[in-house]
Amino acid sequence: MLASYYQNFKQELDGQGVLLCYSGYVSEKVLFSLGDILRRKMESEDTNQAKRLFSVFVEQVQNIIRYSDDRLVTSGSGADAISSGLVLVGSEEDGYFVVCANVLDAAKVEDLRRRLEGLRGMDKEQLKAHYREKLRSPAEEESQGGSIGLIEIARRSSKPIEFDFMDLKNQTSFFCLKAFI
Amino acid sequence: MIKIEATERSPQVEFDFSSGRFLMAGESFPEDAAAFFGPLLESMQSWLGESHDTDVQFDLQMIYFNSSSAKALMNLFQLLEDSARGGRSVSIHWHYDSDDETMEEFGEDFSEDFEHASFVLRVTEP
Repeated sequence: MLASYYQNFKQELDGQGVLLCYSGYVSEKVLFSLGDILRRKMESEDTNQAKRLFSVFVEQVQNIIRYSDDRLVTSGSGADAISSGLVLVGSEEDGYFVVCANVLDAAKVEDLRRRLEGLRGMDKEQLKAHYREKLRSPAEEESQGGSIGLIEIARRSSKPIEFDFMDLKNQTSFFCLKAFI
Repeated sequence: MIKIEATERSPQVEFDFSSGRFLMAGESFPEDAAAFFGPLLESMQSWLGESHDTDVQFDLQMIYFNSSSAKALMNLFQLLEDSARGGRSVSIHWHYDSDDETMEEFGEDFSEDFEHASFVLRVTEP
């Protein structure tokens, strides 16, 4: 029973083309280790595609570390933060994808949705111009560089990013973001 | 003189204030970008305020950097642009491999809007 349960579970992921799946608490050290594995896995692939995938992966996982509402360490930021989320990297018929998901304070949903809808509606040239503008503007409060991180994800994605929110209990929301490389 | 060895996720740094030669090379996605770049920005800012005659040449040979590092690099370049506006000769050399599309594009992103400092893209053959 045990083996069949987890074999089904693994097969479900394999069937979706998942190369790497991580659920639970993530820190900068975990990000580094997973990223290292991803780079090795991509060694035989096109270098520019591998770089775009790595870049999207880092920004996505750092968003979990910085903005997930489910945190093991509540004080401090950066090196000390440990936050919970879900990371999936896989391949589909026309390329790779990176999905990240985490729980958010519901009060932050509308602002994030607006920003992501804005990015989703931009073409490559508009994303480039928007990136250049944000690169030069002073950091937004509480953003820890996150606003430019989302632009970086949208810019490296070969198709428009996909995202969704689902209301949970206690004024929280489940947020997921998918990018394509 | 500031000399920092490269790690797996932070770049090699050489700030030679006496000669005005600066170098940053490698990977940059430090665990805490503010902790890594903050002291470098402060040192650069105070040196630019004290020493007005030294020409600056800043060489960058980056392989990868994340968005927090990009913001920090831009802040560094803006200090240099301000100093160039005040009359200092400043040249920033952005080196990238000819087959590295991402670093070429980043070079173009960063080079835009420099009026006083010269920002030069230098392609290297691998």
